[in-house]
Amino acid sequence: MNCTRRNFLIGGSTTLFLSGYFPKISFASMQKKNLIIISLRGGMDGLTAIPVIGDKRLKKLRKKLILEDVLNLNSDFGLHPKLEIFHKLWQKNQAAFVHATNIPYTGRSHFDGQNLMETGAHIPYKEKTGWLGRGLLASNIIGKGLAISLPMPLLLRGVPQNNNFFPSPDFVETKLIDQIYNEFKGEHNELIKSTLDTIRQRPLSMQIATDSDDRKKLALEAAKQLKDQSGPRVAVFDLDGFDTHAAQGGVDGAHADELEEVNKIVTILHENLGQAFDNTLILTLTEFGRTIKQNGGYGTEHGYGSAILMAGGLLKKSQVYTDWPGLKKKELFEGRDLNSTIDSRAVYNSAMSICFNQDPEFLRKEVFWGDELPDLSQELFKI
Amino acid sequence: MSLNFYRRVAFGLSPNEKPDKDPLNWAINQLDTIPDLLWPGTIPTEKDLRKKYGEWVYGDREVLRKKFKNDKHAYRKAKDELRIKTGERYFELNEHAIRHFQTKYSKQPVFERFWLFWGNHFAISEKDFLAEFSTGPYQREIIRPNMVKTFEDMVQSVTTSWCMIHHLDNSESFGPNSKKGMEWGETINENHARELLELHTVSPNAGYTQEDVIQLAYIMTGWAHKWDRKNLETGDIWFDQEMHQKGDKIVLGVKYKNDAKRELAKVIHDLATHPICIKFVSTKLCRHFITDEPTDEMINPVLEAWNKSDGNLIEIHKAVITQAYKYNENTHKFHPPEIWLMQLSRMFDLNIPLSFEKMNYTFKSKPNNRQRQLSWILREIGHSPYRAKQPNGWSDLEVDWVSPELLLRRFWFASVELPMLVKSGNRSHGFILSCLKNNFEDHENMASLIDNLKFGTSDYDLGQKYGVICNLPGVLKI
Repeated sequence: MNCTRRNFLIGGSTTLFLSGYFPKISFASMQKKNLIIISLRGGMDGLTAIPVIGDKRLKKLRKKLILEDVLNLNSDFGLHPKLEIFHKLWQKNQAAFVHATNIPYTGRSHFDGQNLMETGAHIPYKEKTGWLGRGLLASNIIGKGLAISLPMPLLLRGVPQNNNFFPSPDFVETKLIDQIYNEFKGEHNELIKSTLDTIRQRPLSMQIATDSDDRKKLALEAAKQLKDQSGPRVAVFDLDGFDTHAAQGGVDGAHADELEEVNKIVTILHENLGQAFDNTLILTLTEFGRTIKQNGGYGTEHGYGSAILMAGGLLKKSQVYTDWPGLKKKELFEGRDLNSTIDSRAVYNSAMSICFNQDPEFLRKEVFWGDELPDLSQELFKI
Repeated sequence: MSLNFYRRVAFGLSPNEKPDKDPLNWAINQLDTIPDLLWPGTIPTEKDLRKKYGEWVYGDREVLRKKFKNDKHAYRKAKDELRIKTGERYFELNEHAIRHFQTKYSKQPVFERFWLFWGNHFAISEKDFLAEFSTGPYQREIIRPNMVKTFEDMVQSVTTSWCMIHHLDNSESFGPNSKKGMEWGETINENHARELLELHTVSPNAGYTQEDVIQLAYIMTGWAHKWDRKNLETGDIWFDQEMHQKGDKIVLGVKYKNDAKRELAKVIHDLATHPICIKFVSTKLCRHFITDEPTDEMINPVLEAWNKSDGNLIEIHKAVITQAYKYNENTHKFHPPEIWLMQLSRMFDLNIPLSFEKMNYTFKSKPNNRQRQLSWILREIGHSPYRAKQPNGWSDLEVDWVSPELLLRRFWFASVELPMLVKSGNRSHGFILSCLKNNFEDHENMASLIDNLKFGTSDYDLGQKYGVICNLPGVLKI
């Protein structure tokens, strides 16, 4: 079939602008809720991750990128076979997707786009903090961010005392840390001293961890931390390599390799969060999608609309949430890209409101300068 | 005067250097001339490396992607071979060696500290293949020669350099009423204009508006790289009249008459001599050399020197050093990882960078582990100098460098990696003690912390000693 616009919009567009929502303080909200963001750098191709089923135009434009063995989601959309954990969770109402969505950026530069996906702003490099950092600060959640990377990602900047975990090639002996710690006195060393406190209070598993090249280990440790009721509430993973200009392929192409990495992280998080998975939201973030048409290298170029992959027990139900723009030439952005009909920041704002027990309207003002971002929490998440 | 002055304004004293009787003069006398680059190995020109950049992007984009469109494995293999052939994996390593050799052996280490400062003020962040081919030569050929000229001269050179123009997309900026803009329906890209205002000159303190950014972008339209099918975006910078927005422009209330390529020099003159620019950049200089939050009292003499000399960088640098000297005893400054590494390398005469003979590259296989070592260390301690994540460069604030993992990386480096960089003649306990004595008033106290290991010379023992010494409060911070 050829999907047409608005087939999938749940409840019609008016519900998108529901406002005046305030969360009730209930027992559920006492439970720690985790928000995990996986950054997919390079431009994730939403049409590879969540392909439209039976669209003739797509088939014609992507002759060499056609996916076989697509996992079934519903009559209109499939799932890339490498994303099997999402398929498994889909059966349990613990996976969902937002499609034809992106940050409001159409410039097609990785660097500007990645800057904007993290700051949530409109003008590249203008803001120096990330939307997640501002969201935490506005919600007065301090010292609860965990970055799985060496530099503190821009996304988390804006709130103090974040932790990061990305172990060095070899571990550091505890007695050395203790010895150094004992030397740090004096007022001007407060920051270093409190950071050393954080290091010393780390669980043994974190202290002896090495080898940040092993994403499995990192995800495993993150899961352990997030599971802890007094541990971090937010974690940020960083993946790159989605910029597949050549040999993008289908089931086994270069893009599939990257999706497999996402699958790996989510699988480990799911396996190891245990009960805490019920109080968790995992969302992906990317700077843009990719062109509909394959290029001369059987890859794709930088595009616009993409998709958000979501997992976790805080999802309302399994669904592909979209205001589908269609793939006819006139329906495409500038005649070449999947359009974006949902500002992805609305999804992130709503996710923060759920995980931080915060009024989405308040967050929208504090974090996104009052930009018009509909509250999607009722459609997407368990309230 | 405390010995920490030599680390505040330079990299500490090497084993064969002694404290000067007049440290202030010692420092100030280093700023009048540009020291030669000392690296005995290859120092390629910016133009040569741009050619390599072109070979790499052309080879990948125009040849390999098409040739191996059906086979991701063959494509990856061919791409790796092209990396080797064009030096895509090598030149950045060589640039790090040039840079660290300079900070380790320069007779004018104070000058070198300013070199690092300006390279980071006019930062080229990680984008495309700039770190691989272009950022190093940009530091050497654009930043360095301007350090004995005026600040305005430096801004002019930086703004029209290939590296900065590519970095901030000015080649993609078209005047909407220009010939090409109208023909192709293109418009401005504001990136470069915004950063010229925000980061390089007046800062947001000047209260410029979005309209100012747009107007400045108009002025900058036309400054672009030449493009052809073979060299793609790596052609020289020129002024393309057909991209330039016609008409008068107004930036920060000043009118710039329609004057083609001459508009840019005029607006840069006004921005680089703007009082708010002078205050902003002077504050950054004081932040780098004195403390994270410098006071007006610290900054004012630098402003005076700037105004009196019409922005002569030699005079400005001397004023900064004079202030750093004046406030040396009662201010603190935390040094970012790369400067810390440079200091350890100079103070303890570490075996980095690798000798130029061993750095020699044949473009036939991947650079070996030893050749990659310095760059690997820089990355692992979190401060690969030419890969800042944003155009505002690396932070100069303690708060941005003190995270659990970033501190642990330093402990790791000093206790695990550093021992392997100690030269064979320098493994005795006595050597460490003499280096400490050369650089720290507090050396006896420091020595007492490692006294129980005085007979140990194994890598493990050295790791125990350096692990503590290099991470003491007085070493991480002055």
